[in-house]
Amino acid sequence: MNLNINLKAENTYDAIVVGSGISGGWAAKELTEKGLKVLLLERGMNIEHIKDYDSAMKNPWDIKHAGRLTEEMKRTHPVQKRDYPYNEATEKWWVNDLECPYTEVKRFDWYRGFHVGGKSLMWGRQSYRLGDLNFSENAKDGFGNDWPIRYKDLSPWYDYVEKFAGISGQNEGLHEVLPDGHFLPPMDLNIVEKSVKESIKQKWGNERLLTIGRTANLTVPHNGRGSCQYRNLCSRGCPFGAYFSTQSSTLPAAMDTGNLTLRPYSIVNHIIYDKDTKKAKGVMVIDALTNKTMEFYSKIIFVNGSTLGTTFILLNSTSDAHPNGLGNASGQLGHNLMDHHFRCGANGDFDGFDKFYTYGRRANGFYVPRFRNVGKDKRDYLRGFGYQGSASRQNWQNDIAELSFGADFKEKMTRPGKWRMGFGGFGEMLPYYENRVYIDHSKKDKWGQSVLAIDCEYKENEKKMRIDMMNDAAEMLEAAGAKNIKTYDNDCYPGMAIHEMGTARMGKDPKTSVLNEWNQVHEVKNVFVTDGASMPSIGCQNPSLTFMALTARAADHAVNELKKGNL
Amino acid sequence: MDRREALRNVAILLGTAISAGTTDILFSSYTLPESEKNAVNFSAEQLKTLTEIADVIIPTTKSSGGAKAAGVGKFIPMMITDCYPAKQQQSFYNGLAAFEARTKKTYGKSFALIPLAERRKMLTTLRQETLDQKTNKIPEKVDLAYFFTTVRDLTSLGYFSSEIGCTKAREYVLIPGSYDGAYPLKPGQKSWAT
Repeated sequence: MNLNINLKAENTYDAIVVGSGISGGWAAKELTEKGLKVLLLERGMNIEHIKDYDSAMKNPWDIKHAGRLTEEMKRTHPVQKRDYPYNEATEKWWVNDLECPYTEVKRFDWYRGFHVGGKSLMWGRQSYRLGDLNFSENAKDGFGNDWPIRYKDLSPWYDYVEKFAGISGQNEGLHEVLPDGHFLPPMDLNIVEKSVKESIKQKWGNERLLTIGRTANLTVPHNGRGSCQYRNLCSRGCPFGAYFSTQSSTLPAAMDTGNLTLRPYSIVNHIIYDKDTKKAKGVMVIDALTNKTMEFYSKIIFVNGSTLGTTFILLNSTSDAHPNGLGNASGQLGHNLMDHHFRCGANGDFDGFDKFYTYGRRANGFYVPRFRNVGKDKRDYLRGFGYQGSASRQNWQNDIAELSFGADFKEKMTRPGKWRMGFGGFGEMLPYYENRVYIDHSKKDKWGQSVLAIDCEYKENEKKMRIDMMNDAAEMLEAAGAKNIKTYDNDCYPGMAIHEMGTARMGKDPKTSVLNEWNQVHEVKNVFVTDGASMPSIGCQNPSLTFMALTARAADHAVNELKKGNL
Repeated sequence: MDRREALRNVAILLGTAISAGTTDILFSSYTLPESEKNAVNFSAEQLKTLTEIADVIIPTTKSSGGAKAAGVGKFIPMMITDCYPAKQQQSFYNGLAAFEARTKKTYGKSFALIPLAERRKMLTTLRQETLDQKTNKIPEKVDLAYFFTTVRDLTSLGYFSSEIGCTKAREYVLIPGSYDGAYPLKPGQKSWAT
C-alpha cells in the first residue's frame, strides 16, 4: 500500500506535456518557466543536441550509398520512402512503418518521426503568420466552423515566439495575407530572383510580390545560438544550432528552469478521465522498450503528439462519460482533416546571367504570398495559394548528348550550367467533415495498440485551384523573360506536405468543435491541444509558427487559470 | 535470463544511451530470407570489367583522376546488391554477362585486358544499341540496354559523390559560412559539389 502511494507521489507533476516536437517543446518551455513541475513525455528515443546528429558533418563521400535507399530501408519504410525527406543521410529521423502501421482507406502519406524533438528536427523551417483574411474565411464562405479567435488575439503571441525562435525575413506590409513580424535580417535573393521580383512588380504593381522566404534559420547569432553557415544540410540536424528545434531552443530553456523531467520511450496510450472531478487526472503510458504500462498524474495536460498522434490519443481515451473519445460530444474529433496541396507549378530557364554564379548553399527560397481571392480578385474556387521556389544555376548541362560518356562528358559535368527557376504552389485545402480518421481495431502496432484509419481526399475546389497554381506561375516566369517554360502537376496526395491539421478543431460552440478559444477541450477543461489538430482552417502558409504562438498563448492561459483555482 | 533479455536490461539501465535504432537491431530480427538477399554475385573478373567500364565513362583528365581512382569500381556492385530489387539486379547481371561474352568473342580476352581504344569502341557500340533499343525494342537486348544505362548512371553518381569527384573534378566547400547570390564567375570556374 505504501509503495503505491509513494509511486503515485513520484509520478505526479503539475503538468504533463505529451510530445516533444515544435508545439510540445514550446509547452514545456512556457509551463516550466512559469514555475510548473512538468513531465515531458516522448514516445521515441532521445536525441541529444549536436552529439546525436550523426550525419551532420559528413562529406558526400562519407555517405555510403550516395544518399540512396537500400532495399532493406525500402522494405522497412514502405510509406516514408514515398518521398525525398527519407534518405540515407536522414534515415534516423523517420519511423519504421512496419512497427506503426495505419490503414489507408484512401492514399494518405503519413510521415512521422519518433524521437525527442519530433518534426522540429526535420521541418522545412518556413515560418509565416496567418493573416486577418485566414481567420475570417470559414465564417465568410461557410466551409468549416468559425475560428474563435482573430489575428489580433494571436498577434502578440506571434511576436513573442518569433523573438525567441529567431525568424529571418523581410517585412512587406501585407496585413491581410501575410502580416509583418519581428525578423532577423533577411537572407539574400540571388541575381535571377531579384530580376524576377522586379519584373513582377512592374507588371502587377502591388497585386503580386516576390519576397525572400521567412525561415527559422538564424542570419545572426541569437540567444546563444550560432548563425546559419549556408551548408543547406538542416535535415541532418544543425551542429551550429542555427535553426529552431526543440533541441536548439525550447528544451534547453525548459531544462534551465530545473522544473523539467523528460522521459523518452514513453508512448501515451490514453488520457485517464476522472468522472468525479470531470477532469483528466493523468495519462497511461506504454514503455516503448519494455512494453510495461504505467500511469502519470498531473493537474493539467497538454497534448502535443502531432495532429494525428494527438487525435489518436483523444479517440482512444474512452470512458462512460466520453464513449466516443475524450471531449468528443460534438462528434467532430477525427474529422475535418486537411493538408496543403502542392507539387504543382511551373519552371523556366533564364539567359543573360551567365557571368554570375552563387556561393554558399542557402537553406531558403523565395515566397510569393497569396494573391488569389484577395481584394477584388475573384476566382471559380475558394481561398488561395502561395508560391515557394528558387532560382539556381544547374550542374547538369543540357548540351550533353544523351547517354554520352568520356572526357568531354566529364568536363561538361564539372562546369556550371544554366540558370533555372521554379515556382511551386502551396494551396489551401478546405475543411470537409467527411475527411476523417478513426481507430481501426483490426490492426495492432508493435506495442499492441490499435491503429488509425485515414480516409481523406482532395476535392473539386483543390483541383480547380491547381490550374491557377500552374498558369499563374508560368505567367510570372513569362513576364520575367524565362525560356522553355513548363508547367507541371506531379500529383499530390494528402499527407505529402506534412502539414496535416484540423482533427480536433477550435470553435466557439461545444456542439460543433472540440476545443475552445484557448485550445482547451470544451468538456475537459484541464486538457489542452495546441498542435495542428486544433486548426479550424489552414490558410496556405506553412503552419508551424502558428502552432508555436497558439501554444504559448494557451500555456499562459492555463497557468493563469491554475492560479485562479479554475483547473 | 537469455541473451535477448540481458540485452534488453542493459538498454534499460543505460536509459537513453542506446538509440532506438540500435535496440531494434539488438532485439529484433529483420533478416531477409536468404533467397531475397544478394540475388547476384560478381566474380573477380566481372569486378575488374566494371572498374574499367567506369573508367572509360569518366576517365582521368588533366584536372582530376577518373572513376577508377575514385573507387567507383567498388561502388557499382555495392549499389547493385544493396539498392536494387532482385529482378533489376538480375537484369544488370545478365547485361554484364552478355557484354563480357561479346568482348571475349571479339577479342579473345576479357574487357580489362583489351587496349583502351577497343574498350571505347565496345562501349560506343553499346551506347548506340541502347539508344536504338528505345525504338527497336529487341527482346534479346533488354538486359544489355539496362546494363549500359545503369552502369553509366552509377558511374556518374559514384564519381561525383566521391572525394576525387567532389574536390578535384568539382569544387567542394564544407562550410561556406555565407551566401552570395551574384557571385562573379571566375575563369575556369568549376561547379560546386554538394
